[in-house]
Amino acid sequence: MRNALALLIVIVLAGLMMAGVSQLPPPGSPDGAVHRHVAAHYIDGGTEAGGAPNLVTAVLLNYRALDTYGEVVVIFAALVAVLAVGLSGHSRGPRRQPDELPVSPVVDRIIRLLAPFIALFALFMILEGHVLPGGGFQGGVVLGALLILLSLVLGPRRIRRMLPTPALFWTRAIAPLVFALTAIAGLALAGWLFALPEPAWLRELILVGLELAIGIGAALALVGFYLSLEADHHD
Amino acid sequence: MSPNDVFDALILILLITCALAIARMKDLAAAVILFSVYSFALCLLWVHRGAPDVAMTEAAVGAGITAVLFFYTLARTGRREK
Amino acid sequence: MTEGLAHLDYIAVVILFAIGLYVVLTKQNLIKKIIGLNIMETAVFGLIVTSGMVDGGSPPLLGQGLEPPYASPIAHALVLTGIVVALSVTALALVLILRVKAECGSIELDELLEPDE
Repeated sequence: MRNALALLIVIVLAGLMMAGVSQLPPPGSPDGAVHRHVAAHYIDGGTEAGGAPNLVTAVLLNYRALDTYGEVVVIFAALVAVLAVGLSGHSRGPRRQPDELPVSPVVDRIIRLLAPFIALFALFMILEGHVLPGGGFQGGVVLGALLILLSLVLGPRRIRRMLPTPALFWTRAIAPLVFALTAIAGLALAGWLFALPEPAWLRELILVGLELAIGIGAALALVGFYLSLEADHHD
Repeated sequence: MSPNDVFDALILILLITCALAIARMKDLAAAVILFSVYSFALCLLWVHRGAPDVAMTEAAVGAGITAVLFFYTLARTGRREK
Repeated sequence: MTEGLAHLDYIAVVILFAIGLYVVLTKQNLIKKIIGLNIMETAVFGLIVTSGMVDGGSPPLLGQGLEPPYASPIAHALVLTGIVVALSVTALALVLILRVKAECGSIELDELLEPDE
């Protein structure tokens, strides 16, 4: 009965949405409203106005840096909430030893073999994110995935030990901190929040710094999510 | 129909099939794996739509990290839906 | 896109959104609800990226020898932010589900809502 009601609601809502989207201009026409105003301005502005040849990065870190600041704060807030709600108080009882986890030797060898290359690729994505597709967040996710893979092979304890506790406190907050710093520096040097100051090398330096901060912050947040979900699933 | 349209249509059909299968699946581990497949199909669609940045994020987050997080949760809560 | 099929992409996205919404509404398992929520989120991303695409367009990368027209970079940036927020929401929801499991012993909504016996 309730399922039938839910189905009815969903079908009615889907019908309304179909009526809505059929009024939209057909996708793919280059003179649609999406492409005319702001997007056209950004594309015409090019590298000089945007600061980065990859226009997505230019939008994220320059034109709409305030939005990205919000995004970074959301990740950080989620990490704080996960660590607060996580089962840290519940991890009692004998833990299963990490080396008891059955990992196929093939998987083990492959992960150990590929780890340096994955790390290199992640760093490349972060550092070249303003020129090529990629960027801080993508690189950070790859880095976080690498740490999760390694903890599959080496055991989560080794990963926990790899992250030094006192520095971790501030490193987890690195992305919001660097963004706030950049915003204030832009205000001081050029007159508005997140302004990129003039010499081209300084702009590039700031962009790479922001990407690095996002990447490290994202990687640590992912590892934090993973470790608090993994925390005591052996009880 | 150009080859591009055919590719688009195939991916969209794959997406809808995956979503329906996820809705019907009682085994949650299978549903999570299907969600990975779904994300990867979506990633191909993003590349096709000229959004490589989004595709990279979708591949890393949707097909990789999200599945890992779901699996660690399932290890504690059981993989069967009642 | 051929005329008549022009809105096919949007319609597929609406179908995906409807499936996700149905999963969220009817399934009692909390993890299943989160998967449904993820399907709804990806459907919205699909709508935004589709609205930003150009037929025969190239990715918005300057200086790589790609020809205009470029796809809209704003749509892509919005979706990137959205994916990050979706991941954060998923992680937080999963940790909350683990907490519910530890405190109440079940993650089926109908069992949780029953008057305690």
